[in-house]
Amino acid sequence: MSSYRDPELEDVLQDDELRRIASVLSSARAPEPPLDEAFRTGLRRQLMNEAWSMTEGRQSWWRRAFAPPGLAWAGAAAGLVLIMSVVIYTSLQPGGGVQQIIVQSPVDGDRSVALAQPILVKFNQPMDHPSTEAAVQIMPATNVTFGWNENTLAVQPSGGTLAPNTQYHVTIGSGAKTATGKPLSSPQTITFVTTAPPTPAVSPTPRPTPTTALGEKQLTGLAGAHDLVARWSTDSSSIYYLDGRGALNVIPAKGGSVTVIAPDGASSPAVPPTGDRLAYIRNGRVEVLTFASGKTDELTVTPSPTLVDWARDRILWAAADGVYTQTDDRSSHQLAPLPTTGVVAVVSFSPDGSHAAYRQDQNLFLLDLANGKSVQLGTASATFLGWSPGGTALIYGTSDNDVVANLQGVTQSTLPAGEATWSTQDAILIGGDTDILQTRPDGTNLGRISAGTFHFPAWAPNASTFAFVRGGSLWVATAPALPPQPTVLDEASVVVDTFMKARLAGATDQANALLDANGKTAYTSGGLSLLITGDPGFSRYYVLSSEVTGADPDSARFVVRLVLSHGKTDVSDQEEALTLVRDATSKQFVIDQATAGAHRVLGKGAEVVSVDIQTDTVKVTFDSDLDPTTVTDGLTIVDAKGKRLDANSSYANRVVMLTGLNLKDGDAYRLVVLTTIRDVSGQNVAAEYDLDFFGPTAKRHGNHQDSVTPTPAPSPSPSSPSSSQASS
Amino acid sequence: MSDPSREDERELVERAKRDPRQFGTLYDRHFQQIYRFVYSRVREQTAAEDVTSEVFMKALKAMPRYQDTGRPFAAWLYQIAVNAIADRYRSLKTAQPLDDFHDLSVGGPTLEDLAAHRDEVRRIWVLVEALPPQQRTALVLKFQEDMKIEDIAVAMGKSPGAVKLLIHRGVTRLREGADTLRPVE
Repeated sequence: MSSYRDPELEDVLQDDELRRIASVLSSARAPEPPLDEAFRTGLRRQLMNEAWSMTEGRQSWWRRAFAPPGLAWAGAAAGLVLIMSVVIYTSLQPGGGVQQIIVQSPVDGDRSVALAQPILVKFNQPMDHPSTEAAVQIMPATNVTFGWNENTLAVQPSGGTLAPNTQYHVTIGSGAKTATGKPLSSPQTITFVTTAPPTPAVSPTPRPTPTTALGEKQLTGLAGAHDLVARWSTDSSSIYYLDGRGALNVIPAKGGSVTVIAPDGASSPAVPPTGDRLAYIRNGRVEVLTFASGKTDELTVTPSPTLVDWARDRILWAAADGVYTQTDDRSSHQLAPLPTTGVVAVVSFSPDGSHAAYRQDQNLFLLDLANGKSVQLGTASATFLGWSPGGTALIYGTSDNDVVANLQGVTQSTLPAGEATWSTQDAILIGGDTDILQTRPDGTNLGRISAGTFHFPAWAPNASTFAFVRGGSLWVATAPALPPQPTVLDEASVVVDTFMKARLAGATDQANALLDANGKTAYTSGGLSLLITGDPGFSRYYVLSSEVTGADPDSARFVVRLVLSHGKTDVSDQEEALTLVRDATSKQFVIDQATAGAHRVLGKGAEVVSVDIQTDTVKVTFDSDLDPTTVTDGLTIVDAKGKRLDANSSYANRVVMLTGLNLKDGDAYRLVVLTTIRDVSGQNVAAEYDLDFFGPTAKRHGNHQDSVTPTPAPSPSPSSPSSSQASS
Repeated sequence: MSDPSREDERELVERAKRDPRQFGTLYDRHFQQIYRFVYSRVREQTAAEDVTSEVFMKALKAMPRYQDTGRPFAAWLYQIAVNAIADRYRSLKTAQPLDDFHDLSVGGPTLEDLAAHRDEVRRIWVLVEALPPQQRTALVLKFQEDMKIEDIAVAMGKSPGAVKLLIHRGVTRLREGADTLRPVE
């Protein structure tokens, strides 16, 4: 081996063996260290972002300097200096005054960029299109098409939209050239963050356009009836009502001929939820008209009935001494006795047949048919007004107010006094002599919807039309839709949002107020921290998945991503799974459980940015366009035992749909994203990603009431037998 | 006659001082050598990435204050890297200190393994890793990165004489170690 010769070290390496070792050291290179190219490019992006922010800082100095107060005095001089500077600067540029390429974008630095838009890249001079397009690099990997409008390049994701909750880095590499062939002196990177995916808007039921304020329409006279005893057909097309002569009639809600079902002596009309029959009391007997056949059956019931109704498909009736139903052998069976003192009369059965409201002298009671126990509703002279659609609450009137109460008689809310009706969609109408109000059961959205007389309003099952009495006649009208009710997820989302924003702002007290005792423990000794400090810092968050996980009490689970950034560049994220429970007292959601999830470095392969969980479908949205051939085997759902669920997998536009599932309410599952999934740039997912979730609970409205979906039913055929007659 | 590559570098540095967005070109030029140097010192990829990030981020922020002293720009980057590595191992008390990678006197499997390879070059570099940190830094910069003594002195914050001394001691220790590890034929 030749001896080492380095003039700098001649006085240091004085013997042959030292020079031989020096020669070995200098002759061979240590092996190149392992290098992740994503790190090299990621660091470059980070540096460029920092450089841009440093530049922006300088710009704001200029903006301050040229603010209006100074401008008045210094404008001309400063302008002159500026022009001179530009002239001098330009003349000093290599190439003798060739204009420097400036790259700008309206979305650069924006942290809430809408998904459906192209990325516009503006140059200050004409560019060579092929070289510029070839120099565009996008992270995360995205298929794009290009379009030009003069000096502006529109980079359009091929899928039509950008990925949600994603930081994009669009780099124009130094291969981009101007139309005159001058290359970009250094790559320029545009960085922005997209918004969350849009949530589908709740569209209210379409309503016919009223011809008057509420489209009031007079149907027929009531022949002297003082109140409205009526039932709607389940398809909301007809109204069965009693007139002042005791006749049971039916009339189409859109107007038309009246058909008489029973000419006199009738009371207590009742339509079962199936809508195929009509029960009523006549001559001390219960008669049941079956619409399909037109046949009326007579039920011989003892003792003599005073009120009849349906609880689902079962018939109930009240007699002087108790509440009865019919057994399978058609004999009478007493469900619960009524008090034996005073004047007692049942006024209504709950829709589920579990309770009856009755009067005893001047007082109103609620009778639990399962145990025969009664609770009083309000004080003396309270009047029963109606049930919630599922029968878990009721409304009664006092001289001062209407009261919404639960089945223990406990007041839930107080509403203005009036004649009330409760719709299948949880809207309450309160009618009277001078106007009609509409409200939610909790008193929200209260408003007068029309002036005029609206006695005894009665909602149709469609929760749109209602019947009422005005001037001794039966009328119908259409109520305007109330704003959509927030769902359980809506309500819980507000809490999650407030919680995360408070943490982002460092307002730990505010965040702490949204935790219950368990939640506080999770953030004090459970390995989580409310306040996230350091560099990279907590810069933004987004909800990865949300689902209702329980209904009694309401509970919801959210997986939230906390994004950590250095400067403007997102470098990593960490997940927290939050479980929210509705507090029994305040009815507000609180965070009851929190667990830390995965912590990942960004920019190393495709990331899951949104997961939507339905009973039969799981929709997984990635930030990158994927190699479709890697999707089917790369993304699975397993149950609690680790068994892979059968599912059909399809992929389009960054979204993988797993369909044909049958997720069980409350069961534990895991979404598994394997490292075999590759993006279109050929990069694999850096590490396996697992998301634990539960089979979804049916979503429902969040105001603790029990709205129901109107079910279509067979159209009634009120072509009654021999007694039918028409009247105008 | 001035070195054209030095002139070019000066121009790049001046541009980056005026406009930080021009720093990308300097990064592209020097990333590989800085990363390689850092890795040679920390021997762990994640740590090398962390330190390299720190080096370039500090350099970018300090660009407006950079003074051209006639030494290569890389010498300044190495200086930041040397300090960053030292800081890192000062703060990570529980981490494996650089000095503990190998002991020259260690025998057993390492010796057998090295003897089995009978590759002097590789053995020498393994021995370099076992040198005290400053000696190792000086040897890496001199023999791996081909830097001049004066540039190494800038990078290490020492006088040229001190650098020479470190190199002398380092090479001398390698000679002793090489004797120990010389395979028995």
